[in-house]
Amino acid sequence: MKKKLAVILAASTMAASLAACGGSGSSGGTEAAGTAGNKETTAQTGGGAPAQEAGGEGLLTVAWWGNQTRNERTQAALDKYSELNPGVSFDGQFSEWSDYWNKLATAAAGHSLPDVLQMDYAYLDQYVTNNLLVDLTPYIEDGTLNVDDCSQDIIGSGSVGGKVYSIPIGINAPAMVYNKTITAQAGVEIKDNMTLDEFVEVSKKIYQETGCKTNMAYGVSQEILQAMIRGYDGHVLFDNGKLGVDSAEEFIPFFKVYEEGVKEGWYIEPGVFAELTPGSIEQDPLVYGSSPETMSWVAFCWSNQFAAFNNAAPEGMELDLTTWPSKDPKLSNFLKPAQLFSVSVDSKDPVTGARLIDYWTNSLDCNQILLAERGVPISSKVAEELAPSLSESDQKVISFINEVVTPNSSQINPPYPNGSSEVSDLINKLEEKVCYGELTAEEAAEQLFTEGNKIMAEKAK
Amino acid sequence: MREKRRIRNVIYHVLVFSVGIIMIYPLIWMFMSSFKETKTIFQTAGNLIPNPFTIQNYINGLKGFAKVSFMTFFKNSLFISVVATVGTVISSAVVAYGFARFKFKGRNLLFAAMLLSMMLPAQVLMIPQYLWYQKLGWVGSYLPLIVPYFFAIQGFFVYLMTNFIDGIPRELDEAAKIDGCSYPQIFIRVILPLITPALVTGAIFSFMWRWDDFLSALLYVNKSALYPVSLALKLFCDPGSSSDYGAMFAMASLSILPSVLIFIFFQKYLVEGISTSGLKG
Amino acid sequence: MNLFKKAMSRESTAGIIFTLPFTVGFLLFMIVPMGISLYYSFCKYDILSPPVFTGLENFRTMFADETFYKSIKVTFFFAFVSVPLRLIFALLVAMLLLKTTKMTGFYRAAYYLPSIIGGSVAVAILWKRMFATDGVINKLLQAVGIDCKFSWLGDTKTAIWVLIILAVWQFGSSMLIFLSSLKQIPMSLYEAANVDGANGISKFFKITLPLLTPTIFFNLVMQMINGFLAFTQSYIITQGKPMNSTLFYTVYMYQQSFEFYNTGYGAALAWVMLAIIGLITLLLFATKKFWVYEGGL
Repeated sequence: MKKKLAVILAASTMAASLAACGGSGSSGGTEAAGTAGNKETTAQTGGGAPAQEAGGEGLLTVAWWGNQTRNERTQAALDKYSELNPGVSFDGQFSEWSDYWNKLATAAAGHSLPDVLQMDYAYLDQYVTNNLLVDLTPYIEDGTLNVDDCSQDIIGSGSVGGKVYSIPIGINAPAMVYNKTITAQAGVEIKDNMTLDEFVEVSKKIYQETGCKTNMAYGVSQEILQAMIRGYDGHVLFDNGKLGVDSAEEFIPFFKVYEEGVKEGWYIEPGVFAELTPGSIEQDPLVYGSSPETMSWVAFCWSNQFAAFNNAAPEGMELDLTTWPSKDPKLSNFLKPAQLFSVSVDSKDPVTGARLIDYWTNSLDCNQILLAERGVPISSKVAEELAPSLSESDQKVISFINEVVTPNSSQINPPYPNGSSEVSDLINKLEEKVCYGELTAEEAAEQLFTEGNKIMAEKAK
Repeated sequence: MREKRRIRNVIYHVLVFSVGIIMIYPLIWMFMSSFKETKTIFQTAGNLIPNPFTIQNYINGLKGFAKVSFMTFFKNSLFISVVATVGTVISSAVVAYGFARFKFKGRNLLFAAMLLSMMLPAQVLMIPQYLWYQKLGWVGSYLPLIVPYFFAIQGFFVYLMTNFIDGIPRELDEAAKIDGCSYPQIFIRVILPLITPALVTGAIFSFMWRWDDFLSALLYVNKSALYPVSLALKLFCDPGSSSDYGAMFAMASLSILPSVLIFIFFQKYLVEGISTSGLKG
Repeated sequence: MNLFKKAMSRESTAGIIFTLPFTVGFLLFMIVPMGISLYYSFCKYDILSPPVFTGLENFRTMFADETFYKSIKVTFFFAFVSVPLRLIFALLVAMLLLKTTKMTGFYRAAYYLPSIIGGSVAVAILWKRMFATDGVINKLLQAVGIDCKFSWLGDTKTAIWVLIILAVWQFGSSMLIFLSSLKQIPMSLYEAANVDGANGISKFFKITLPLLTPTIFFNLVMQMINGFLAFTQSYIITQGKPMNSTLFYTVYMYQQSFEFYNTGYGAALAWVMLAIIGLITLLLFATKKFWVYEGGL
């Protein structure tokens, strides 16, 4: 409480001082004047006091990250909204993923956040604890933002401390996309909800039969480890101020995959990844490579990336998707809010922001423009009506989520607390050391346990 | 003798030419890749010649984002780069003259401050600078991308030009002074013409750096219609989903054109040089 | 106006007036942000919440931080190898391109162009392709009979060299500066030397090199600063991998500031780097009088 109060105080003094200088500040063009206007309202909304009376007029800034297709569709959906609601217009502000977060953080420091912004699950907690997002609960209660057709679990996943701070635009699930052509060639059957041991067996078999290797999201595997840890009585990897595991034991199977895989040859050598663009689907070893040695039969990703993988796959490669392997799949599997949307406290018109999110959630028109590019719509009604207009791979994703994941999953981990990004980096560094033979799986697990706990404790201070 | 000279000439050209080709091979590769089908760019990275040949990437790229054509980004970049470059070159030359020719109180301190300001990484100043420009009410406009450059804040250019002015014999200043020139007149009539190579070099660099600068554009430009090329180029790639590398290559190829043209246009001033041969040391 | 004229006519005040744009710019645009970042270096700061003063805590953490030492080592190696190589190439090529032929414009453009594309995504992709296990470099080596299936970027010893080669490849800006200052050397000096019957090599060492020393010094200082602050090569190509063997100091600073949100710590790292570069620059300036020709022409 004390901390919160301090934040509020700081926020309002900052806003006050900025408002003060807004008067003396000369020129700077019309746009500068626009942002100055934003700042002054910070004083009123900065403390979390809800709604100003909505004039229904004015210009809202909406920010997101994404590619050309998303930029196009999102802007079109916004334009459609303006068309339906004369007097409201939007400035679409889009950036590349990492640029987006730098820009957003900087704007947060200056209390000039966009009105409506795309949030990611990994950052949600940070933005909420720092009082940067508007609590949407009142708008849900008064009907401005209708979530009747959405699962309570999904709405809950955008909440922190029982308050709804963001609404997902789509539902996602962890997905293991695999090369069906190769698995058929190797004569292995991939069933849903494999265990890790089964996964390793399959990987070995495929390597023996086809020479094709395995990749378990090398370099970006923290999410996989999280899911695996959930398999241990539902442990939460990133707990508050510590790692939520009983002992380093729980990390060993994860690192063992890398250790044994590289030693026995069925895991892609770490050097190969140095030649690829990290995070690029077009260069994922599943779809890209000149020989089986540098290619993987599998990619660990999210269900909404399935379409992108299909796009990137060379001709004749058939892809399919299933769940991530785990000790206890029912505990490990979860539905993830893909691409949340929030209203910032710097917005002078949060009501329109809430209305926009409502439109996103419930309007079929809007979703027919967006075409589930951000994931399956969260309103079951919209999802159903939208289904026929989606591509084959998108429909496959929908049935995967509805039929495979939903009946066999648990609630997602709470939003990651401060320190998770640093620990994620540590996980990837340790995994690298294991692959380069500098550490055994046991040593890596031990280091992760001690150093990870230290980082989390340090950050919680 | 003549024969020998011809052989030497041939060797010179063969050598310089072939190394030159190696130097620009990567650019040729990028240019050629921009005519490949975007899906095949990585699979066929080993081949130079696009097969099939397509201009689809240019069409996609020029379409831009959310109804803002890529040409708009070009216009924006051109405006920012040209104005900031003019500011940089003029202000740096003036300040350099002050450093090179005058002894005054605080000169060394000022010079040290200039060097020091170059030693902090841009990323660390990102947030403080943002807060400061916000106080000035400049966020959301081009002002932070342009105005500071009229105050010679890039020590590199000041130092570069100071160096050149140092290389000009002081006797010329003295002579002009005896002829009744004031300092500003000496600067304009004597110094400026003699440091043309430095001005040209500065203009080439400044233009290129402003053109490539994307950090300040990212922070201070809010409207997508005001984005410069450097920012827009990154929008073709999204690590979370599909990226259009073909369009990115196409636009990246186009985006180096202005810098190349500026270079070609200005470099002839370096060829001619400035004949100081009439001056005796 | 009269006062201005008067001030302009006195050497001591004219200098102040000519350098005024910089003084104003520095005070207006640099000093405050620099001050704020210096303050952050003594704070626990994560951008989103207000900074909390923690005194020397960040610096204490730093001196116990293994990655800090590792990145210093990598950065020193990179700077001390790439900068001299870059300058030598730049000077060599500038001398070659001094000669005016019909092709000169093309040649200069060709050697300068790599600097223009700078640190774009395209360069990153290309560079990785070239040094890939099945890339051009290995194919060339195989063509001359060396059976090479080596992963240059995957090896902790060679990865840094890939970045160094990239830095050296972009020597264009130093070259251009050399070129323009070579142009400033009066032909009359060479003519006089010709009369004395000097050959090309002695002309280079007796005239060109000494007169070029101020420019060499300038390039050295600038490139040293650049080398220590190098960011792009590592950031776009290796992100410090493998095993931190290419982790540039600035990349580490960036990770701390914007990925782990230890922004206060990041600021502290930056100021330590400033001290290091400042010291090296000071050392360079101290050697200046021993080798840099100051006489003018």
